[in-house]
Order: sequence, then structure tokens, then C-alpha cells
Amino acid sequence: MTTAMKRCVRCLLPETHETISFDEEGVCNICRQQDYKKDRIDWSAKKRELDDLIETYRGKYDYDCIVPFSGGKDSTWTLYYLMKEYGLKPLVVRFDHGFLRPNLQENTLRTLRKLGADMHVFTPNWKVVQKLMLQSFLEKGDFCWHCHTGIFSYPMWVAIQKNIPLIFWGEPSAEYTSYFSYDQPEEVDEKRFNRYVNLGITAEDMFVRLGGMIDERDLKPFRYPPLRDLRRISYRSVCLGSYVPWDVKRQSEIISRELGWKGDQVENVPPAYDYEKIECQLQGVRDYIKFIKRGYTRPSHLMALDLRNGRISREEAERLVKEYEGKRPPSLDLFLEYVGLTEAEFLEVALSHGVSPYHHDPASVTPGQKVHDFDQWQRVGRMERSDTEVILKRWQIHRADDRE
Amino acid sequence: MRRVGVVDYGMGNLMSMVSALDMVGADVGLCQRPEDLATCDRIVLPGVGAFRACMEALAQGGFIEALGEQVLRGGKPFLGVCLGMQVLARRSEEGGSHDGLGWIDAEVCRLRPADSALRVPQIGWNDVEFSADSAVFRRIPPLADFYFVHSFHMVCADAGNVEATCDYDGKVTAAVRKGNIFATQFHPEKSQTHGLQLLENFLNWRG
Amino acid sequence: MLKRRLIPKLQLKSRQLGAVNRPILVTTVGFERVLDIGDPVSQAKIYEAQAADELVLLDLDSGAPRNEAVLSVLRRIAQEIFMPFTVGGGVRTVDDFRVLLSAGADKVSINTAAVADPGLIDAASLRFGAQCVVLSIDYRQHVDGRREVFVDGGRRATGLDPVAWAKEAVARGAGEILLTSIERDGSRSGLDVDLIRQMVDAVDVPVIAAGGCGVARHFVEGFVQGGADAVASGTFFSFKDQNPMQTRAHIKNAGIPIRIHL
Repeated sequence: MTTAMKRCVRCLLPETHETISFDEEGVCNICRQQDYKKDRIDWSAKKRELDDLIETYRGKYDYDCIVPFSGGKDSTWTLYYLMKEYGLKPLVVRFDHGFLRPNLQENTLRTLRKLGADMHVFTPNWKVVQKLMLQSFLEKGDFCWHCHTGIFSYPMWVAIQKNIPLIFWGEPSAEYTSYFSYDQPEEVDEKRFNRYVNLGITAEDMFVRLGGMIDERDLKPFRYPPLRDLRRISYRSVCLGSYVPWDVKRQSEIISRELGWKGDQVENVPPAYDYEKIECQLQGVRDYIKFIKRGYTRPSHLMALDLRNGRISREEAERLVKEYEGKRPPSLDLFLEYVGLTEAEFLEVALSHGVSPYHHDPASVTPGQKVHDFDQWQRVGRMERSDTEVILKRWQIHRADDRE
Repeated sequence: MRRVGVVDYGMGNLMSMVSALDMVGADVGLCQRPEDLATCDRIVLPGVGAFRACMEALAQGGFIEALGEQVLRGGKPFLGVCLGMQVLARRSEEGGSHDGLGWIDAEVCRLRPADSALRVPQIGWNDVEFSADSAVFRRIPPLADFYFVHSFHMVCADAGNVEATCDYDGKVTAAVRKGNIFATQFHPEKSQTHGLQLLENFLNWRG
Repeated sequence: MLKRRLIPKLQLKSRQLGAVNRPILVTTVGFERVLDIGDPVSQAKIYEAQAADELVLLDLDSGAPRNEAVLSVLRRIAQEIFMPFTVGGGVRTVDDFRVLLSAGADKVSINTAAVADPGLIDAASLRFGAQCVVLSIDYRQHVDGRREVFVDGGRRATGLDPVAWAKEAVARGAGEILLTSIERDGSRSGLDVDLIRQMVDAVDVPVIAAGGCGVARHFVEGFVQGGADAVASGTFFSFKDQNPMQTRAHIKNAGIPIRIHL
């Protein structure tokens, strides 16, 4: 059954997009924020604020700042900009979510050698990661909890431990959602972390949800550090995009030219958008789950950006969405191995997280294509079914009475 | 000058007010005896409960005289919240007819919205209209929502004392100001970001 | 204009975790099956960050005497969050009101004790004002359609009709009604909009509807068809990838006045 969803008249994002609301003209709040970003912000004043912020911290610590780094387009641009424009000495901090692709690793090597920066990498316990993925998929319909929380918490611990109080992130969330708007200051702090990053589950909550089946200490990298510790080092944790207008396409071109950064093929993404989300082997699975829940996914989101900027016609956007969106990604097989679920169980769980008014019809799904490096990916660390069942059982008990 | 005293006259929820003031950087303490007021630069009067019980508790604790001394004659910036605003009036009709402090020429009357969809008490978030140059509403966006929970409201004789209003089938006094006296019907300590901003503004307000 | 409210419902239960017994958060299905979902202070902070309009905290271990561990959790919540919250579960005396209000609660809900002694409503209202007194009504629907108030965590029938009981309680000074369908609790099958509507028409105090939200559309039904002033939910926010900010946007798109400038 297909359900007609209300969509923004300008960018076509549907009503199931998180935090979207529409005004009298049918234009969404995210488009309106882009208007605000373009017309109402004095970017030269913002740049001076950035100058002041940087001068407050420069040269006083072992590093001028931390740049949390996946190696994708946004963090690479942030690192490049801070080093080229300001000549900062950053500590690059990577939380390795476990699914980095070969091209991304090569990009990282080139970027670091070309720019000359120290890098600190943390790779969490795989057995813990598996349980976190399964648990958050079952109970929030999103298996990326370990990645969301680790990426935003771990660098803050490094900031405290190494006494590096200034942390630079990339794009502000107002680019994509309205958890914050461009007219509000968006500090990348615990409030923001709690508002949407952690899916409404802190490490303390995760410990309770897993019934103590993991050591509480294993959750520390995913826990946001105490505010008093951050205040003690006088921290500031901000988005570069709050000070410099964010333009993904232009920035991708610059890092490609200057750093030899390379885009990549991504499951169910049109080839022209090869700069988007190249860092994760399971990106296709993430998008597929979103499609089952909300009836749209990454192609729609990419088209929305281009429609707002007048870079694509509505007809072409609709064609690309139809061609690429909602296919079954080959990487689903990996995901099922890593969390020990069958595909039928996967579907049942994903469907239970549907967002009204969208209803997903599994029968309408067609297979997507393998990406070029798919067969090179390491497939080690399958989850034992007995481990899966311990966690799955709780979910099944909870669902037993479901009448919807 | 950030030593803030919260008047503790034994009527209830002070914890929230103290935590909120602490959060925005105040050096905050409870005033359990009238003489404690003299050690503070700013005074906050929270309020939960019924009007009459509140006035009696203030009188029994000896606070009425001390508040007059510090606020009316001493000119210390003062913030009243909810019932702590209503007791500033001359009189209230809550549970009979009872005299208030009379600092503001106003009467406290029951909310009587004609629209039956509107409930009494008014409980929840309502947008507050204030003038853009109000010092205590500085850095708060126009028509920001604040949290209200009340069955009675303050009707001022002098419109000049009304600092802000909300709409509840007609204008309802949301905040009053007279010299160094400022008070809100809504709860800034319970109004999240905007509420904390208002408390911070109060700390910087000259009165 | 006064906005409709979205209220996450947090239920507390004592659990042995590690070395200590401490109150944790749970959700329930039909008031019976209990699932552990988190830490109370952590969840309160999350809902504060997501700008929920209010919280309801219910202590399910109400058979036990009010314990210091729960009060300590309430005090920590009051220190961490700057938004209103109602506390209930096991409230029996006017002095219980005082204790909970001084721990940081803005309102106190009563249920079983009010049925046993309706005079408690008058006494609490006189002392603390009607706006502090929330009457919590749990009910079941019989096969013939008749609805009946249950107390003691949904275990004991009272013979009372929910609407008639609410009218009496409001006359005695209750300032708000928290109305929960026991069968729909945790079911995700939607709110009991018929009874909500009857209740809203029968009393002039605000009505909080609870029990049954499974998708965002159910909140809209509670506001539009039911006419509720507020909708509370535990299961929905604990088990959906739709936090209060997402739900709020959905409600706004249905034309319902809800707080959006945060």
C-alpha cells in the first residue's frame, strides 16, 4: 500500500522527515532556515567571531584544537580549513565505528600526510559494539547508537584528558533538521547530545536496557563526560558551519583538488553524488531501514539540497529518487551476520518502527547493486545466535501484545 | 552583586528556584529568618499554595516587615514568582477576601474564561507578549512560551505596572514591574531556556 | 495562546543493579509486564533537552513506604532540569504532598488514597491550591462497554464510574485529571478517545490522556477527537525513533497549537 505523504512544495521532503513542519505556503522549516542562513546572517561578523574564538585558545595547549574526524567530506573540509586558513595545530581524533571502507582509509592517509597532523584513533570492543547495535536496532529502529554516541562523546574525553579545550565539528544540524535553527547558538554539548544524537538513550540507560550483560566500564567511551569536568577546562565545542556558510558541493571540490580526496560509490546513491557518506560499509542498511520506517531516504535528502539551491529540476529530482531509493542493499547480508538476525526478523523489527502516516510494503522492494569494493570488505565477527537470542527475547516479550 | 536570597517561609518548592539561579551563575542562598534578607543583594519570593496560607506564613515568619525594609525602602531588586507575585496585590478573592502586601495597586481574581474550551487552572505553556525594550526580557525572542500554572490572576489598576501579558480569552497579567519590584505569574525556574535567560537577566537588572 | 502539552511518563521501580538497589525507569504493558528502560535522572535530562512540556513521574513501588532513594532521585532531577513535573504513586497524606513538593515536584497526583478517602482532595487543595492536586484515574472497560475505576495499580475494582468520580474530585478541589486506560497501557493501539471526550466535556479542569500511543497520529487523535489538553506516553517515547521534538512537529502539522519555538 502506498500512502500519499505531505511534502514540502520547495524541497519535496515528506512529513515523516524528523522535525519537519510546514508553513501556510507549504514550505518546510528546513527550507526557511536555509533562507535565514542566506539572507539574514551577517557571515563576515560570524567570521570575526571565529577569529576571536581561535585567538582565545591558540598556542596555549599541546594542541590548538581537536578535530573529530571520520575522513568524510565534512570533517576533511573542517580540518583543511582550520589548518589552511588559520594555521592551527589540531589533534585529529577518530572514533572508529568498525565499518570504514578502503577508499576512506586511503583518503585519510593522503589528507594527514599532505596537511601534517597528529591523529589519535580509538576502536571500541567489537563484542560490545555488536550488542549495542542489536539493542538499539530492536528498541529504536536505528542500529547506529554506538557510532552516534561514540563519535560525539569520545573526543570530549580526549579533550579533558589531554587538556585541549577547543573542539571543532563540521556542519551545524540546522542544515538538515530543525532540532536547532540558524538563529540559535548551537553548541555541540550535552544538551545537543541528549536532544537527538543519542536516540534518547544515554550509556546509563543502555546499561539498564542490556540488563547488566556488559561491564559498565565498557560503556565509558559512549558516555558524555560530566559537565563539571568540561567546564573545568573551559571548553568550547562548536560547528565550523556556524561561522562559515556550509556548502557541501563546493567544499568537496576543494578537498578533491587540494588534498586528492576521492569520492566513492555508495549503495543506492546516484553516482553524481559520490561525495556523500562514503565512510561506512553499512550506509546502505541505514538508509534502507530509514526507507522502511519513513518512506524516503538519502536520494530524497540529496535532491532536497539541490532543489533548494536551484541546482536540479523537479522532474530530474523525482526521476533520480525513483531510480535509487528504497532498494534492498547487498550490505544487509553483512549486517544480519554481525547482529545474528534473519532477514524476516530484520523486517519485522524495522516495520515495527514505522512513522505515521507511511506504511511500508516489503513486496514492492527490488534488489540494489553491490558497490565496487563490496567483495574486499572484511567479514569477520559474526554474532553467535545464542547471544542474539538473549537480547532478542526481551524485544519479543515486549511486542507480544502488539495489536497495531 | 550577585548574592541572591530566596525567601523560605515554609511553603514548598524552593529547590527548583535555587537550582535554576545557581545554574545561571548566582551566589544563591535560602533566607529562613527575616534578618537573612539584609545579607542579600537581590531577593526572590517564590510561591506555591493558597493565597491566605502564604500571607499567614509570611506574617508568622516575620518576613512582611523585613521585605518592606529591604525592598520598598532599601530598593533591592526583587523577583516574585506565581503566588509570590500575587501577594504583592492589595487583595485576593482566593478562598474569601484576603489582604496582600499592597505593594502594587492590583486585585487578584479568579480566571473566568468565557470560552468553555479553556480550563481553570490554566496549566501549560503560553506565549508572553512584552515590549522589546524590557530589560528583564532581554535576549528572549518575541512571544516566547513560558510555563503557567494558576487559577487566579492579577488585575492591575495602573496599566503602567503591567510588564507582560498572555492571552487566556483576553489579556492576563504575565509579569508586573514597579521600580525595583519585578514579578511573574509564570514560572521562570520551570520554563527551560527562556526561563533561565530571564533569571540571568534578573541578576543583571539594576531595578 | 495556551499550547497543548506533550508529557513523557516515567515510571519508577526499585531494582538490584550491581551492588545497590536503586530506582530505575520501566515501562509497562497492561500495568503488568514490566520492562527496564533506563536511569530516571538520565531520562529526565534527555526530555529536558528535547523540550518536552512537562514530565509525570510515578513510583510503582507504592506499596512500600516512601523511601529516601526515590526522594533523592527526585531532588537530583529538580537540580538538573528546569521544567515542570508531577509526582505520584503511594501518596496517602497531606504531608506526603509537602514532602514531594519540597523535593522539587510542581504537582502531586493521587489515586488509590483519594478513592479510600476523598477528603484528602479537599485537604490538599486547601493547603496547596487546586493547581497542585492531580487526580489520577486508572480504569478498565468491561465487555458491555461500561468503564470502571481500578485502584492499587489496576488490581482492585471500585465500582466507580470514571467520569462521575472525576466530577466529584473536581468539586472537591482537584485541579487536573490524569486519565489512563489500563488495557491500552503499552499496547500502542491508540488512545481511548471516546472516554477522553466524555471526560473533557464533563469537567472544566485540564485533562491529561494516557495509555495507548503507538504512532504520532495517536497523539493527534487524543487532541482533536478527544479534546485532551495534554497527552502522556511512556512506551512510545521509550521504544520509537520519534522523540518529543519529532512528535511535536507532527502535531503542529495537524494544525494543533503546540510549543514550537524552543
